[in-house]
Amino acid sequence: MAHDTAPTANTRLFRPGYEGHNQISARTLGFWLYMLSDALLFTALFAAYAVLDTPMNAAGGPIASQIVNPVEGFWQTIAILGSVTSYSLATVAMKNGNRGGTALGIVAAIALAVVFLAFGVNDLTTLAAHGDGMDRSGYLSAYFVLILTHAIHMGIGILWMLVMLVQIPRYGFNEMVVARMLNLRMFWQFQATVWVCVYVYVYMIGA
Amino acid sequence: MRLKSYLTLLPVLALGACSSGDYRLFHPINAIATQEWHATIVDTVVMLLIILPVLLAIAIFGWRYRANANAAYDPDWSHNTVLELLVWGVPFVIVAGLGLYSVKTIYAIEPYKPGLLQKQASTDPQSVLNVDVINTDWQWVFIYPDQHIATIDELEVPKGSIVKMRLTSTSVSNDIYIPQLAPMIAVMPGMRTLDTFDAPALGEYTGFAADFSGAGFSWMQFATHIVSQDDFNTWVHKAASSPNQLSYAAFQKVAQPHVNVGAKVSYFSNPDPQLFNKVVAAAQAGVVYPVSSALTKSIGSNEK
Amino acid sequence: MQLQVPGPWSLLLGRLTLDQIPYTNPILQVTFAVAALIGLVIVGAVLYYKKVGYLWREWLTTVDHKKIGVMYIIVGLVMLFRGFADGLLIRTQQVLANGPHAAGYIGATHGFLPPFHFDQVYSAHGTIMILFAATPILTGFQNIVVPLQIGARDMAFPYMNAVSLWLTTAAAVLVMISLFVGDFSQAGWVGLIPLTELPYSPGVGVDYWMWAIQISSVGTTLNAINMIVTIVDMRAPGMTWFRMPVFSWTTLSTNIIGLTAFPVLGVALALLGADRYLGTHFFTAGMGGNLMLYTNLFWIWGHPEVYFLILPTFGVLSEVIPAFSQKPLFGYVTMVAATFAIAGISWLVWLHHFFTMGAGPDINGFFSVATMLVGIPTGVKVFNWMFTLYRGRITYTVPMLWAMFGLFLLLVGGLTGMMLAIPAINYTVHDSVFVIAHFHCMVLMVVCAGFAGVTYWFPKLFGFKLNECWGKAFFWTFAVGTVTVFTAMFALGFEGETRRLDWTFNTAWKPMLVVEEVGMIIYVLSLALFAVMLVVSIRDRNKQKLAADPWETSRTLEWLTPTPIPFYNYAVTPQVNTRDELAWRRKYGMEHTKPDAYEDIHMPSNSGLPVILGALAGIWGFAMIWRIWWLAAISLLGVVLIVIIRSFDKNAGYHLQPAEIEAMERDLSIGAITAEQPDRSHHIITHAEAH
Repeated sequence: MAHDTAPTANTRLFRPGYEGHNQISARTLGFWLYMLSDALLFTALFAAYAVLDTPMNAAGGPIASQIVNPVEGFWQTIAILGSVTSYSLATVAMKNGNRGGTALGIVAAIALAVVFLAFGVNDLTTLAAHGDGMDRSGYLSAYFVLILTHAIHMGIGILWMLVMLVQIPRYGFNEMVVARMLNLRMFWQFQATVWVCVYVYVYMIGA
Repeated sequence: MRLKSYLTLLPVLALGACSSGDYRLFHPINAIATQEWHATIVDTVVMLLIILPVLLAIAIFGWRYRANANAAYDPDWSHNTVLELLVWGVPFVIVAGLGLYSVKTIYAIEPYKPGLLQKQASTDPQSVLNVDVINTDWQWVFIYPDQHIATIDELEVPKGSIVKMRLTSTSVSNDIYIPQLAPMIAVMPGMRTLDTFDAPALGEYTGFAADFSGAGFSWMQFATHIVSQDDFNTWVHKAASSPNQLSYAAFQKVAQPHVNVGAKVSYFSNPDPQLFNKVVAAAQAGVVYPVSSALTKSIGSNEK
Repeated sequence: MQLQVPGPWSLLLGRLTLDQIPYTNPILQVTFAVAALIGLVIVGAVLYYKKVGYLWREWLTTVDHKKIGVMYIIVGLVMLFRGFADGLLIRTQQVLANGPHAAGYIGATHGFLPPFHFDQVYSAHGTIMILFAATPILTGFQNIVVPLQIGARDMAFPYMNAVSLWLTTAAAVLVMISLFVGDFSQAGWVGLIPLTELPYSPGVGVDYWMWAIQISSVGTTLNAINMIVTIVDMRAPGMTWFRMPVFSWTTLSTNIIGLTAFPVLGVALALLGADRYLGTHFFTAGMGGNLMLYTNLFWIWGHPEVYFLILPTFGVLSEVIPAFSQKPLFGYVTMVAATFAIAGISWLVWLHHFFTMGAGPDINGFFSVATMLVGIPTGVKVFNWMFTLYRGRITYTVPMLWAMFGLFLLLVGGLTGMMLAIPAINYTVHDSVFVIAHFHCMVLMVVCAGFAGVTYWFPKLFGFKLNECWGKAFFWTFAVGTVTVFTAMFALGFEGETRRLDWTFNTAWKPMLVVEEVGMIIYVLSLALFAVMLVVSIRDRNKQKLAADPWETSRTLEWLTPTPIPFYNYAVTPQVNTRDELAWRRKYGMEHTKPDAYEDIHMPSNSGLPVILGALAGIWGFAMIWRIWWLAAISLLGVVLIVIIRSFDKNAGYHLQPAEIEAMERDLSIGAITAEQPDRSHHIITHAEAH
């Protein structure tokens, strides 16, 4: 047993005053891991979409090129990237300790996210109104659920931002608030990344 | 009999019951099942070559080095490079060998196009018997497109033929299985799968559903007969004289959920030549044959 | 688009009506009576001994990883008992309902369970055993042991740990409720598609199955995050990666699997839910659905899930075998490598669950070889355990007996697993009971390691050992029962018996079915002996005085703590100097060395929110199952509100004072797991003060 060395005078058995782990780093790692599981969730959804994106799975209903609108999707992309930028500016303001600037950035991020969601909701309701709802075909099921799952994530992000808008004036930038702001940034950027994948895979390749 | 000597290695032999005909997998009838049985033996023997010594070593070490045996005690020994290479190497060699063997046998018995039967199928295409199989809730419909007959829960084939089955389902998924003859293969609605087997000897076998398909599942057996060509012809005539014809419309009644207790056989003449394809297309178009909760509750119970 | 509601529905109660309660079924009447009696006894005892407050303060609201682990194991054992009862029903039905002339009792044509009931029983058996018995028990061990092994005071996220527990518990409760309100799924634990779609399963059974799994898998995912962060971030000083005990390594690998696999299951079930609730066509046979998509998604989770269960089991064996061989584990580094090799390969083999789908020989060939590859690292592990025994000084305590039997089952399971990996063999036994026997060998190895772990770590937690004599009786009957049942089941596989038969139509199967039933009776006996072991052990708990390491041969860090272990684990964080730290300290006579002085310890405060969150999740699941939309909306809103309320909680825990710690280290019963702690709210610190 090579690692078996006899104790010496310097051998310590205890470590009084050991600080242990850092809360923010643990939370950040934990949130990264959560994002990993969320990425797996979207991977499975994309896989389902890929399997069901065939003329046969459209079952006589519309196929991708008949329902996606890359131009509209482009404005959605601009809106969501703008939202991420606003949020990032909010975190810059946070770094400077500027509560007002942070709140302003968050409000802008929310507004742009709402614009993004409005486009999406409009898309889906128009389709459904024409009888091409999610119960029309396997393909449309995959399309609707992929878009809706992303939209639900966006909705949770908006709710989270609203909570931060209350907590920042209330607590200032204490450890927990900062940790939440940083995790939310990661979450928000990830949703934008997912959307870019949706845009490329569903809107651009589909069209 | 070399098989017999192999057999003695099987652990289930400890039960002393293997010579009984009940162990159907030990008594393959045709080329496909024989190959599958050989694979079972080869794999078991090769694996036992490693597992038996390990079991033995564990038993010996466990006895020899028990605390009160005063055997050699080496409290620090936990590493040996040669041994650690060996413990990776030995399983690797075995897996490599068995992997190669596995891939080889897949091609031999592959249910879509078994290598074992290709020679006969190409030299004697007359011996190929096509059967379309439709699985319903909870019966088996066999359509003989070339003989223009159909049956429920009976599969009859002439000795010496190669049976090619096309399989689909009206409702849910299932597996078809005839021990000693035909490998298990999935039967799925809206899809077509294939299963192939040869029929070298006369005999009677039971085929059945193998993958759970709802409340009537346990009653999904069908008789499988391998008969002489003459008997087969007679049987075809008998079925062809049935007044019941199996059009797609008539098939709708057959396809309703129903448990055929006792697997009673029915015959049909003049099945719709496109019936199989129509069933596949219908399932793809969303046709279902719903099973109500009330029906589910009454099956196999006295609450009829 | 509108929400699909099959059958009658009312705004207030959704699909729930009085005739959904099967009060006429005699089996359920008895079950209900027994369950109600046990429930009454427990509630009565709690009230009589005035333990309501204690239960709430010390258990239901706890964030202590050890107590959470214990509760996980209790939930798992209760569900194990339920799952075993289901198994007993299955076996008894199959032996009674054999052949065309088998008699029928209490309403069944053959046997005593008509398919309607039998199919629920076998589906519940599989679901419960895998997701609500094995998973919680193993999660419990990981919760208890890992922080101790790596020298931490708690998990990285103690509050979230409690949330995971209560979500799992809520899901288990839903499965239990399905016994008495409505039906459980009749489509197998795998959710056979398209049998689970509305036309073929119009009742609430599939919904119970689906939502229960969905809720518990959220708990499992959160727990996986917690475990990984704990292991990465919270190891004691000196605990380098390659000094970490193997159980912690297997926990890390298993939770990486859990974290990455469970989202896929979540998607598979959510899409099935969309089909059932929203009328989509993901997995329907028609309208552009693809039913094999479900099967693939399910097994992409399902196979890693198998290793999710087995890897921690390997970890337990790797702790128990060296401890009772009085030797370090042979080939530690190869053991770790093999663990991660198994975890990696587990992602590449899912298709072997449906070799019979009709995929071409190339695809089947690939997955056949990939499956066999698992045999290499598994073989390495067996060899390493074998060499650990070599020149050891083996004591056959109860945990060691369980470990050795587990090893035997692993070898049998491995032998038959290699058979199933060969498609040519698989085609003959794919859906036969041979497969059932094979994977029961594997999951019973999990159970054996579970009982090895229970007996091994029990004294550390509670300060007394489980009775050795009754423990051995329990072990031997269990082992004999296992061998009897599953040898017969392998034989039946070769006789061509397929799985899930309510009526075993072939009379040739009768002898082996009877042998199986005999084995089940031996199992029942062993269960009784288990109960006796528990009662005797608890009765005699004060007869023993145990040292920090009750087995005297344990090797890893967790045994350095006092016995019974105080709630703060380590009074002073230990410095790790080597692998097998305790064995090393013992060798150099330092195992009793105590720290010179104590200092403040920062502990997290208990919280009632997780248990409320779990309750709301359970209510939400129930409302979704019965399509009581208003209740679902309210409970979901409640869940969201609790998450938000928690984020406003300023409580950052409290400080234990050195004087308190000294008192608890002197008198171990003060800080023990069963002791009631004084109110420490005056020591609470807020986040603002903490920084």
